[in-house]
Amino acid sequence: MLYRKSFLFALLVLAVITLAQRCKEPSGTCGMGCDLTDIPYNPTAYTIPKPAHFPQIPVPANNPMTLEGVQLGRRLFYDPILSADSTMSCSSCHLPQGSFTDNKAVSTGIDGIQGRRSSMSLLNIAYATNGLFWDGRSASLEEQALLPVEDPVEMHHTWPNVVEQLKSHPVYPELFRKAFGIDNCCGITKELAARALAQFERILISSGTSRYDQYILGDPDALDDKELDGKLMFFDEGQVVNLPDAQCFHCHGSITLTGNNYFNNGLDSVASLDDFTDKGRGGISGNRTDNGKFRTPTLRNIALTAPYMHDGRFPTLEAVLEHYNGNGKGVSNEDPFVQQIGFPLGGNVLQYSGLTAYQRQAVIKFLHTLTDTTFINNPDIQKPD
Amino acid sequence: MKFLPTILFALLFVFISSCDKDEPQTEKNFTLTFKSTYGGLALEKYKNYPYDDRDIQVNKFNTFLSDLILVRQDGSEQRLSDIEWVDFTPDLAPDNKAVDVKFQYTVPAGNYTALKIGYGVRPDLNAKKPADFAPEHPLYRENEYWSGWQSYIFTKVQGLYDLDGAGDPESTLTYHCGSDAVYRTSTMNATIPVTDKSGALTVEFDVKKLFYYNGGLLDLDDPLNRNTSHNASNIDLGIKVMDNFANATTVK
Repeated sequence: MLYRKSFLFALLVLAVITLAQRCKEPSGTCGMGCDLTDIPYNPTAYTIPKPAHFPQIPVPANNPMTLEGVQLGRRLFYDPILSADSTMSCSSCHLPQGSFTDNKAVSTGIDGIQGRRSSMSLLNIAYATNGLFWDGRSASLEEQALLPVEDPVEMHHTWPNVVEQLKSHPVYPELFRKAFGIDNCCGITKELAARALAQFERILISSGTSRYDQYILGDPDALDDKELDGKLMFFDEGQVVNLPDAQCFHCHGSITLTGNNYFNNGLDSVASLDDFTDKGRGGISGNRTDNGKFRTPTLRNIALTAPYMHDGRFPTLEAVLEHYNGNGKGVSNEDPFVQQIGFPLGGNVLQYSGLTAYQRQAVIKFLHTLTDTTFINNPDIQKPD
Repeated sequence: MKFLPTILFALLFVFISSCDKDEPQTEKNFTLTFKSTYGGLALEKYKNYPYDDRDIQVNKFNTFLSDLILVRQDGSEQRLSDIEWVDFTPDLAPDNKAVDVKFQYTVPAGNYTALKIGYGVRPDLNAKKPADFAPEHPLYRENEYWSGWQSYIFTKVQGLYDLDGAGDPESTLTYHCGSDAVYRTSTMNATIPVTDKSGALTVEFDVKKLFYYNGGLLDLDDPLNRNTSHNASNIDLGIKVMDNFANATTVK
């Protein structure tokens, strides 16, 4: 009987302590008020809209697309809560009007420190399955989304702090519940935030309404003669009309106009492969023959994403064409096609003659036909209200 | 009750009949491994290899292979795959050594006597385009497709050649071979046992042998022998390269 009384007393003490402890916890710290199970979890499968002539969009099995996941990712993408001083969001460097670049040579973080590289366009990023960033250091969008938050030259925050802010936020716990079915706010993790961001980024797909798209879909009048000349040179199809190869499509092939491969495109003259200021892919792989190689960006909406190259060194497309017309610097790991621009000049005459001023202008005029204003104005990808 | 013996007899008949039949043939794992060499040496990007009295580098080597089929002694066939993509020099490889590319299939146990290979993309598949395929399909690769020629790039061999004879390869070699005109097939005889447990076969491509022509190596001092890519004006070189693929293949 004595034991029974002691046991009941101990239970009572334990219950009081637990209750007192829980009452001390503010809402959003896994205590009372953090439960989310009253909110229905009925995620809606989401099919990414894409033009019919675009390939299927790869979606990882461990992050299926849902409407709720996309909505959460969109909100996070535009929310400065991800930066330490709440001044910077993903969209600070990836703005819709710049085709999800910031139109700066290099981006600046919250501490006013400039990064060393230009922000890459996120257009059609869902198709990038060969590494992300200029150097391919992230294998997936889910991995990529984790890095800028803690980068000292970007958002300079910490994920534990971000997660705490999200847990105690008036809206986010419900959005995470609806997207991922978490039972309480303590289920919010950086991995779920990254999954949501990745889902939003996967919907950043071309509208398929650019003039180039209209042309390849069968409207021969969508391109004028000069643009057509540019297209023929871009895709090395110009021999029949005595136009040289501009060799662009070897790196900027496919419907998305990037193969997402890594190339040294002849930007820098270096005495040895060890001398690149920015080693690019080699800085990640540790392989010196990868030094100076960078991931090829998409050329869709290229007219909207100036300045160009990984370090934004070229302010205009004219400067870009001028560079390529120089046939590289002869560095041993340059892509061979960089050395073959302007080759062959019709028929079978194998000589590197370069592109004339008219031909360069024609290629640039063609590049302008890749502009997709329907995409950048798509209301579904703008900052949410 | 009078039907009981009949029913029992019928059941016995069914049981015995089922025992008469062959055991269902179970599928065994079969590993097909592709390796690449240069003149019998392990292939490595950015490494100099002898080419007559000059040096050469092979910095990219990949190919599509169609209709991979095992042949039995009686001539019947066991299809392994309609199409595969074999990339010996992927961008994200940890170092410059060419990678071995392995595929796993399941096939019935038995003794196979040959492997059939199609070099490139067979015409009916080459008539399609990347958007026709799911992301996991080998032909989804848009970067291996020429929209201008409406053909996949069957094989890419890229590198450098010491044209000036100064000792370091500096002149570009770009062999991008494609279109139905260069599709080739071969049958490689070999003893290929697939036991009760598994089977395996290694296929090796010697990239140096892709450069052979008329009993010797292509003269790379001739610019017409250094580049062929997606234009019909130099398809002759593409044909030479693809003609050589069977001779460049050994099975082990």
